[in-house]
Amino acid sequence: MKQINSQSNISATVIWLILVALTLATWRIGEAGMVGKSAMLLLLFIAMIKSQMVANYFMALRHTRLIWRGIMFGYFVIVGGLIALAYLRSLA
Amino acid sequence: MEAQSPFTTLIEISNYQSTTGKKNLPGDFALWIFIFAEMLVFGVLFVAYAFTRAYHVELFNESQLTLSRTSGAINTLVLITSSYFVVNGVSAIKQGLSKQCGYWLIGAFLLGGIFIIIKILEFHAKYAADISMSTNAFYMFYLSLTFFHFMHVLMGMIILAFIIFKVLNDGYSAKDYVGVETGASFWHMVDFLWIILFPLVYIIR
Repeated sequence: MKQINSQSNISATVIWLILVALTLATWRIGEAGMVGKSAMLLLLFIAMIKSQMVANYFMALRHTRLIWRGIMFGYFVIVGGLIALAYLRSLA
Repeated sequence: MEAQSPFTTLIEISNYQSTTGKKNLPGDFALWIFIFAEMLVFGVLFVAYAFTRAYHVELFNESQLTLSRTSGAINTLVLITSSYFVVNGVSAIKQGLSKQCGYWLIGAFLLGGIFIIIKILEFHAKYAADISMSTNAFYMFYLSLTFFHFMHVLMGMIILAFIIFKVLNDGYSAKDYVGVETGASFWHMVDFLWIILFPLVYIIR
């Protein structure tokens, strides 16, 4: 049991470090003033990856039944997709 | 045969132990209904922001530049780290380490306090600049979204405070930690929503 918890702590630490790195990348892109379709899609993709990581590893949904992970993934696809659509519309 | 309500069906799904060995949602299922409802509300607001922006691109881009991306990023790091502390707290209580769990959760609570202070400073700066929800459509979304989220952080801190008090009084154990998992799930949701809110409102243009 202790070994399982220790492994889970290590993976949580790795996830936390990745989340920190992705947050700094998002901030840097903003500071650099990057705009346009590619920057928007990249930033949105990073946000979706980060929230998926929080759901799967911090909320521990990766151990749960498919329906719960499906709801979370569906959220990313629908909300992220609609946001991207709205931004693409403004760029057209 | 009696007709079942959708809620009863959901409860049955939550109680059903999968034969594949997959677990059910961590914590109290009732809170997960609340979490999904909150995510839906924020999701609608995020999409409404994006589509409103599509009709006022210049206004949104110009107003967005008045926000501090750095304080938004710091707050993201603060919430991510607090979530990580909560993960460690849950892990500690699963091993029956009440004190360690309490300390991790106190750390998460304090980080929540830092988020609140940074946010209050941000709100104060906008108030001092005579900016309100009626200033324009961007600020209406910015202030309502961030204030709505701010209230969730406060609620999360209250939940954490109750759990900390109980865990430090040996109210949870390696066999009974549903309350800790429930509070943790709420706190992660607060983090999860900010992770989308931050780039959407502060960065993407």
